[in-house]
Amino acid sequence: MIEEVVARLTAAGETPARAGRDPVNLPMIRTWLEAMGDGNPAYEQAGIAPPAMIQVWTMRGLAPSPVEDPLQVMSDLLDEDGFSAIVATDSEQVYHRPLRLGETVSVRSQLEAVVGPKRTSLGEGWFVTTLSTWLVGDEPVGEMRFRIFRYKPGPRPDRSTALRPMITADNAAFWEGAAAGELRIQQCGECGTMRHPPGPACPHCGSLKPEYTTVEGTGRIHSYVVHHHPPVPGRRAPYTVALVDLTEGVRVVAEYRGPRPEIGDPVRVLFDDGLPVWRPDVEVLGPWELAVTPTLIVSTALATRDFQNVHHDRDAAVRLGGKDIFLNILTTTGLVQRFVTDALGPATDVRGIRIRLGTPCHAYDTLTFTGQVLPHGIEVVGRTAAGVHVSGTVEVAS
Amino acid sequence: MISRTAAIAGIGATEFSKDSGRSELRLAVEAIRAALDDAGLRPADVSGLVTFTMDNNSEIAVARELGIGELTFLTRIGYGGGAACAIVQQAVLAVTAGLADVVVCYRALNERSGRRFGQAYASPDTDAGWHVPTGLATPAAQVAMVARRYLHDHGASTDDFGRVTVAARRHAATNPHAWFHGRPITLDDHRASRWIAEPLRLLDCCQESDGAVAVVVTTVDRARDLPRPPAVIAAAAQGSGPGQFVMTSYYRPTVAGLPEIAVTGRQIWAQSGYRPADVRTAMLYDHFTPYVLMQLEELGFCAPGEARHLIADDGIELDGRLPVNPHGGQLGEAYIHGMNGIAEAVRQVRGTAVNQVPGGGPVLVTAGTGVPTSALLLEATP
Repeated sequence: MIEEVVARLTAAGETPARAGRDPVNLPMIRTWLEAMGDGNPAYEQAGIAPPAMIQVWTMRGLAPSPVEDPLQVMSDLLDEDGFSAIVATDSEQVYHRPLRLGETVSVRSQLEAVVGPKRTSLGEGWFVTTLSTWLVGDEPVGEMRFRIFRYKPGPRPDRSTALRPMITADNAAFWEGAAAGELRIQQCGECGTMRHPPGPACPHCGSLKPEYTTVEGTGRIHSYVVHHHPPVPGRRAPYTVALVDLTEGVRVVAEYRGPRPEIGDPVRVLFDDGLPVWRPDVEVLGPWELAVTPTLIVSTALATRDFQNVHHDRDAAVRLGGKDIFLNILTTTGLVQRFVTDALGPATDVRGIRIRLGTPCHAYDTLTFTGQVLPHGIEVVGRTAAGVHVSGTVEVAS
Repeated sequence: MISRTAAIAGIGATEFSKDSGRSELRLAVEAIRAALDDAGLRPADVSGLVTFTMDNNSEIAVARELGIGELTFLTRIGYGGGAACAIVQQAVLAVTAGLADVVVCYRALNERSGRRFGQAYASPDTDAGWHVPTGLATPAAQVAMVARRYLHDHGASTDDFGRVTVAARRHAATNPHAWFHGRPITLDDHRASRWIAEPLRLLDCCQESDGAVAVVVTTVDRARDLPRPPAVIAAAAQGSGPGQFVMTSYYRPTVAGLPEIAVTGRQIWAQSGYRPADVRTAMLYDHFTPYVLMQLEELGFCAPGEARHLIADDGIELDGRLPVNPHGGQLGEAYIHGMNGIAEAVRQVRGTAVNQVPGGGPVLVTAGTGVPTSALLLEATP
């Protein structure tokens, strides 16, 4: 059944173009910027729409779609097949050029891939990917690859089962340092030799005076591993672990977060949940802490023309298994854009926003954005207390 | 010295499976009985039992089930598979010192149907506490850190790892006792296998097995009077390197090396008077393919970083320069924590192996890599 529908939708190719309800207009742009809290004046000055708004122009609102939407068809079909839960996993938007006031945007979409059944940490299910192209007349102005996961909910990974350090009298200084956001490396109180991992005695001079020194936490990758299998409690694979030569000359192992590294790459330490973590030693943006109020969630949902009840109706959100209303994806995309343009300046020319979606961001969460400036773009991560809400790359023109 | 004072007089094993359907204790009993039958001895002849710290079967339970009666020598060796040859060394010490006449070395495990060593494991060990919380929580991931650096230091490729498995599976294909009997692979199969912990693929990791192996050690003099030709223990060595950790020796100057293997190798050549070039065939511990390359270098079969040239052109296959693991090793036959390599070495010395390597030279066996380890060199009586 699934295969037949996939074959039919694939054979159908792109849907006919469906026009947006309103041309690109200043009132909607102003409402959107206000709801996002985005004070960037560049858009109004240039008479263009914020790039991250592209999907807003063709949102259907409460009206049913006049053309068959392949994503909706696949989603409904899988729902009937028992894959009752849904999450959006990826949204990769590319902007070919800015949209100007008065332009009318239309959208065509097609089914790109249906993959499954796959076992994931959420449960067993299917990934459905569509490709949408936005047009002004016949000119493609932007596109989006969008992926959802329809699944039968399984047991959730439990962060409380994550493997924790073994703290002893001989290594407590290191872990107390990590909890305090410092990298403390053992240094002999007699001969000054540094050493890691620490121990009660100095193998160099034999003294029993272990002390420590706090280091800056910079170094270079000596080796690294990308872990895929088997599952590790509290972790989402694939993830990277790196062995680093500290500038001071000893080696330290920790998780590495960033684009795929190479041996010799410079890294710098950060601390998360009492553990050191390596990141590329590049310019960082943030942190930017955003208090996610119900007003933010509701006003941005409406400003993005997303009227799904889970973004404005708390009772409905709770009934569907959430703890409260939560941010919609168009808003997350807009906030990622705001974070980067606030940090790099209003003239920043955003050409693409490719994000991977994680845990939902609910009302009353604090959403903290951090970023790293890398050659291929700005790597952005947005976290709540529950975990990573969004991670991805913002491409900017230089 | 202990060289050529003792011999392996009998070997025994259960079948190798993924689900033995019986207790580890029963597997131990079956393998030891088979080994004693092979040696022409009775349980009452046994006065010593030696096993791995990790083995779940106590020496006294094994003795009770077999009806052994009195024991005068009981001991264990730690560090996982690193114990395999060291427990034989313990037996050599016991029979040479006159503490026991006949010592049985055994290892029995339901590793596949019971606790699987390849899964993430929160070891209560303090050393492990530096690595497990970072996500480096499986043996494959811990080896992968060394393997990545090895590729970088020596310009090797993951295909060089794959050639180790291709050789093992070729050998297992003609060994009826091997799990992968009749199932050889190609280098393309290796390239297509999924990532476990980059740069290691599934086909770089040994299999998981249920089974047991036992060997019977006695003095050379007594072994001469028993039915099987003795496999004389020309050398038996244990070794730990500087800055040694269990699987995570990342803090010594060279990460992409196995100095503990070199410690055993130097003793093997010194005790026996042989050189690497004399070795007819080698049973190299192969839980992960990169460590086979590094063992060849550390033992002196080639220079550091040169193993990929030694294994090229089928160099470690049956008709190669140094046939490695003619039984298929742990990649092809079974993962019995290195003990099945010792049994194969005995068959090679006797001339009874299914993939017999011709010639009269000694046969080398190594034990667990990345941990404190051990090695044996076996030969026929002159």
